[in-house]
Amino acid sequence: MTAQKKEMPLKPHVSMELLTTLTQVLYREARLLDQERYDEWMNLMAEDLHYHMPGIETRYRRDKYDQVADLNRMAYYDDSKGELKKRLARLETGTAWSEDPATRYVHLISNVEVELTEKDDEFRVLSNFYAYRNRNERDNDMLIGHRSDIWRSVGESFELVKRQIILKQNILLSKNLNIYL
Amino acid sequence: MGIDGFETKVDYGRFMDLKEGWLDRRIFTRDDIYEQELYKIFARSWLFVAHESQLPKNGDFLTTYMGEDGVIVSRGDDGKIRVFLNSCPHRGNKVCFADGGNARRFVCNYHGWSFDGKGDLQGVHEEYCYDPGDLDKSKNGLKQVAKVSSYKGLVFATFDEEAVNLDEWFGDFRWYLDCLLDNEDGGTEFMPGCIKSEINANWKFGVENFIGDALHAGWTHDSGTRAMNDGLPFPPIDMENSYHASINGHGWEFGLEGVGDIFLLGRPKVMEYYNDIRPDMAKRLGEARSKVFGSVASASLFPNVSFLPGISTFRQWQPKGPWKFELKTWVIVNKNMPDEIKSEVTKGVMQTFGPGGAFEMDDGENWENCTTVNRGVVTRHEKLHYRCGINRRVNDHPTFPGILYQGQYNDANQRSFYERWADMMGAKRMADMPERYKSVMAGRETRDITGVKAI
Repeated sequence: MTAQKKEMPLKPHVSMELLTTLTQVLYREARLLDQERYDEWMNLMAEDLHYHMPGIETRYRRDKYDQVADLNRMAYYDDSKGELKKRLARLETGTAWSEDPATRYVHLISNVEVELTEKDDEFRVLSNFYAYRNRNERDNDMLIGHRSDIWRSVGESFELVKRQIILKQNILLSKNLNIYL
Repeated sequence: MGIDGFETKVDYGRFMDLKEGWLDRRIFTRDDIYEQELYKIFARSWLFVAHESQLPKNGDFLTTYMGEDGVIVSRGDDGKIRVFLNSCPHRGNKVCFADGGNARRFVCNYHGWSFDGKGDLQGVHEEYCYDPGDLDKSKNGLKQVAKVSSYKGLVFATFDEEAVNLDEWFGDFRWYLDCLLDNEDGGTEFMPGCIKSEINANWKFGVENFIGDALHAGWTHDSGTRAMNDGLPFPPIDMENSYHASINGHGWEFGLEGVGDIFLLGRPKVMEYYNDIRPDMAKRLGEARSKVFGSVASASLFPNVSFLPGISTFRQWQPKGPWKFELKTWVIVNKNMPDEIKSEVTKGVMQTFGPGGAFEMDDGENWENCTTVNRGVVTRHEKLHYRCGINRRVNDHPTFPGILYQGQYNDANQRSFYERWADMMGAKRMADMPERYKSVMAGRETRDITGVKAI
């Protein structure tokens, strides 16, 4: 997380308007995911997207090895836009059997903070997520964690440039990650 | 003997008829059978515990499970890898809570008993309260497993004092293992990290899927295959030139086209890399094995390790009761690969066989439902069909060792796995196990043996 410290906000506050706008962007994104509108979700992604969810082992506090920054490590997601599209292409084949009947999704997004970065058109957006997933009779997963995003202002809207997802579990307490966070 | 304990008069052979080709579903659900598995399978098998590359320095350790027994795998200050129980001999508390790291000692949180990297008891808190004769430190270390051994980088341990050596445990299966572990100078290593997930299914469903179930791939994974490869379907299977091979309960199903699994990884640069080294691989392992590697293939080591040669996922199915297992996955690469290729492989593995991978996502739900339906007592008594390819046995093949069946759409390796399972569940001593296959490569380095007839 050292990179984050280097890029501390240049100004102490962002405007209420920017905070509200970016918060709404996150809420809308969550709704697209809940409704499986992945084409529209992909439209929010920048061409230079890095979508990263590291696998984090339990280590002692004295162990200072930065598992999040080390991109050689196994990660649930370590994707470019093209790679993320490939995963999503599975859902369009009509043969993703474990997605039919459909999964019931709810993404709750909270604790939104917006920070300025060294680039005028890019904003760091921190949030927490609570992603609920329920399938068939009683399959039930609750995935909780933090996200650290970079959103870039493009004309009237914003695109996601970078997302780091930290799931607060050691063992993924679920059979898979048929969900995007 | 392993651990003396649970012993029943159950005849495990009656839970299957492998000549007819059926299995009784109760082996996936019964508590007493699961308990017997912990004693007879997990406390007596050679179990995978680490890749040597995970413990490069003295003091490096990781924690894992052998059956349901938590263990620490530690490289001591003498450079030797030891495996001991992660449980203090005083009151039994865990002494290590991290997945891995580097430590000079493991100290119990409860009463401060402290153990070094070899598992030896070094000191205890308030040591003066023990009178002379109360505490023999030399006899109160962390309990060591009976044996630790490695095969070409993979470290295994067993609780069984009487276990045959590791080479013998694998037998001629080493010939196949070399396709994965010895296809290039320098051998293999694990990429850093380990992804763990939890699946509400019996552990054997994971093992049997990888040991031989090529058949599910084209159906279950149609969506994943097309996603990773621009809409292309699963590669065609050549039933003439593909096989199931099983030895001592380990199994490998494979084709001879050399590219199918690498194609499924969906990373053209990795395909290029393997195509470049293939001539050297052929010199090293012989023409046949250079085409077994990379083909549409999957394999399992008895009892609970699986991998996909060419896709490079390496995994262990850790039992957590009859109804649940924990899946640990790693990425195995050749040490001499350029960093760019290692990174391509890692990304490819996680995009196909990570929990969010295009293939993995369709497996877990199948295994969960194969398991949980058996809560119904009527359902539980219905037999399962394992007869596919039962008459396609090939005897005396000039190249491929093992109990060999032609056509990789087959249940042969699954049948052999359950045969081994039943043999071991029922055997009082490992020496009583029936011999199902006679080794032709015993006591020899398998890398230079190109095939059965070439011996």
